[in-house]
Amino acid sequence: MESSMNQTKLSIRDLNFYYGKFHALKNICLDIPEKKVTAFIGPSGCGKSTLLRVLNRMYDLYPKQTAQGQVLFDGNNILDRAQDLYQLRAKIGMVFQKPTPFPMSIYDNIAFGVKLYERLSRRKMDERVEWALKKSALWDEVKDKIHQSGQSLSGGQQQRLCIARGVAVRPEVLLLDEPCSALDPISTLKVEELINELKTEYTIIMVTHNMQQAARVSNYTAYMYLGELIEFDETNKIFTTPSKQATEDYITGKFG
Amino acid sequence: MLSLYQRRRIINALWLGISFLMMTFGLFWLIWILATLAFHSFDSLSLDLFTKMTPPPGSQGGLLNAIVGSLLMTSAGTLIGTPIGIFAGIYLAEYGQRGWLAPATRFMNDVLLSAPSIVIGLFVYMVVVLRMGHFSGWAGALALALLVIPVQVRTTENMLRLVPNTLREAAAALGAPRWKIITSVTLRASRAGIITGMLLAVARISGETAPLLFTALNNQWMSTNMNEPMANLPNMIFQFSMSPYQDWHTLAWAGALLITFSVLAINILARVVFRDKNPSY
Amino acid sequence: MSRKYSEIHVKRQAIQDISFHGVTALFAFLVFALLFGIVLSLFQGSLPAIKTFGWHFLWSSDWDPVQEKFGALVPIIGTLVTSTIALLIGIPVSFGIAIFLTELSPRWLKRPLGTAIELLAGIPSIIYGIWGLFIFAPLFADHVEPWINDHLGVLPILGPLFQGPPMGIGILTAGIILAIMVIPFITAVMRDVFDVVPPMLKESAYGLGATTWEVVWNIVLPFTKNGVVGGIMLGLGRALGETMAVTFVIGNAHDLSASLLMPGNSISSALANEFNEAVGELYTASLIELCLILFLITIIVLSLAKLLLLRMQRAEGRSS
Repeated sequence: MESSMNQTKLSIRDLNFYYGKFHALKNICLDIPEKKVTAFIGPSGCGKSTLLRVLNRMYDLYPKQTAQGQVLFDGNNILDRAQDLYQLRAKIGMVFQKPTPFPMSIYDNIAFGVKLYERLSRRKMDERVEWALKKSALWDEVKDKIHQSGQSLSGGQQQRLCIARGVAVRPEVLLLDEPCSALDPISTLKVEELINELKTEYTIIMVTHNMQQAARVSNYTAYMYLGELIEFDETNKIFTTPSKQATEDYITGKFG
Repeated sequence: MLSLYQRRRIINALWLGISFLMMTFGLFWLIWILATLAFHSFDSLSLDLFTKMTPPPGSQGGLLNAIVGSLLMTSAGTLIGTPIGIFAGIYLAEYGQRGWLAPATRFMNDVLLSAPSIVIGLFVYMVVVLRMGHFSGWAGALALALLVIPVQVRTTENMLRLVPNTLREAAAALGAPRWKIITSVTLRASRAGIITGMLLAVARISGETAPLLFTALNNQWMSTNMNEPMANLPNMIFQFSMSPYQDWHTLAWAGALLITFSVLAINILARVVFRDKNPSY
Repeated sequence: MSRKYSEIHVKRQAIQDISFHGVTALFAFLVFALLFGIVLSLFQGSLPAIKTFGWHFLWSSDWDPVQEKFGALVPIIGTLVTSTIALLIGIPVSFGIAIFLTELSPRWLKRPLGTAIELLAGIPSIIYGIWGLFIFAPLFADHVEPWINDHLGVLPILGPLFQGPPMGIGILTAGIILAIMVIPFITAVMRDVFDVVPPMLKESAYGLGATTWEVVWNIVLPFTKNGVVGGIMLGLGRALGETMAVTFVIGNAHDLSASLLMPGNSISSALANEFNEAVGELYTASLIELCLILFLITIIVLSLAKLLLLRMQRAEGRSS
């Protein structure tokens, strides 16, 4: 596969996932390249969000959800029981479908994650907040009201605030779970531009149900169906000359 | 002969009319009781109430010692009961998906919520008053605290459950440990609701009489020592209104008005707090 | 970018996490254990009476502090009868109010009316007591009880229930005041469960041309019956244990009488009136045993209420 040309950041090996008895992911093997955007596409219920939530072990918050197999992150299997979840999640950030600003000021929203793992002086923290807000192209819009509640922002701004919050802890990987599904077209465009910029420094994995979006922003695309990985390749190739009939059917709209 | 349709219409109107009557019947009592209170205690409302001690029969006085005692015990009871209730509520909402403790506690708590308050009073009498050998303000405060706990557990759990899981996940995704997520994100998001719960608990205990009967007892004199029997408004009302003295009756009405209107004010305040600051998710 | 995750930091976080979990679990356990603690300590306190009287305590109507002979029959019957009266009046009224609030009231009136009924629950019970004693009882004695004597007292079979001197104070008065007190509790539950009936279900019935009453009686009520009964049990639990309001107006007499107009006693009012003045181990222990009986009855009633409401919730979860 083409991906061997890049450094692999996350390597998924024989991953199986269960919600209770329901077998949600079946023998997934996938290498996610570093500092690229990888998109997971597929019809609803195909397991793309589930796969994403395995990568930072978000499923651990809930009983009766189990994963088997390996996910190697810099050589360590993160599914290992001994894995420290908090550290893992600090290195692998996540942004959700709907904006999730915490009930605190814009500034505190961003400082919250930073304070968990770093002890910064007041000045350094100010710099970090500004840096994160600039990274997520929100600074100019909020610099005058940084101590107002994060919930006072518009939906698109809130989502960029959440991205800024994720970026501020300087993770290595960013997981985006349909980050634009609750946004209007203009905010969507802004977030997409942002993803484009962020990929120079971060490994980005995004779930999307919008194929145009996958085509626009991702370098690699994985097509999933019914809990299985059907095809994974460079985005160009997937969208122009997919090697599997099922993928082509989905891409061309014969299905789903 | 009425058609079937007409008969149905009439039956409908009849029952709906009865339902309306029931509504007015319910409101009637509320209005009657409040009006009586206002009417009967209007004369006795004076500054003396707040500056003078309870008098011996046949003389003038106020309710100062009872007001002070009630305030002291209500605050102490709230201060003891609220944190316990909040912590237990956190357990039920945040750690309650696994194990037997959470469902069992939830069940017990719901029973306690409606348990007769006189039972709580007698329980505190058995474990505190008997051991200490005398009635005391602390025993009263403890009995009130035991009434606060179930209210606070219930509201805390309900309010925390209103916080969407995505917010917890978002905090977890930053690497925040569980306790941090709870204390600085979910508790914050449900702050207004939890304060509402606290206010409702205060409203409930500030009128409670039965649990204080065997714990704080009563006191004709001023006492701010929580280790001694302590005067309190509800028991003062009980004692004064059961007595044959007219002066005491007047004072009892004044006390009743004080209690009722503070309790109703707290109740309404609680609703306002909750409506204005409902979690926006 | 350099990143320092010190081992100590991670360990400290793990410790904080475990301690926080532990503290919340401890307090939850405390709440869980409280009920057992209460039952145990009441049991311990009533041991002398249990040893002396045994099961006989339950059906003996003796209450003689001088000869130290005690039985629970009179207060138990008083408690049950007053609560029954409260439910007989309270259920239809609460049902009517709940229907009014969920199906009939104009939208803008729902909130104020709902709040007003809830405020009825906020009024402390001592207020019902003092109001009942000074205002309601005299009016009841002058205007209602003579009428009851004349009209209901002459009925066959039921007559004796309604014969007696019009004193204003007694079992019936206590029951009526209890009814007013439980109305808001039953109404609240009924209202909540009526509100969860799926609108689609109601609309389908309206779509067939059903009247409001027919929808309530044939759709809403069957759908919510567990919840409704649960709410009634909750009200019963309240009525059984209510103390102050009853103490003021029940008359506090340890006599068994066929008439509802005669003074009587309930468990809680016996406790409130006598406990602090009780002398002697056996007297105190008997009162504590009364309290234990009251608590056990309410636990059973409230558990049933809770189970019914849980079942209702589960059914609702299945259908949605």
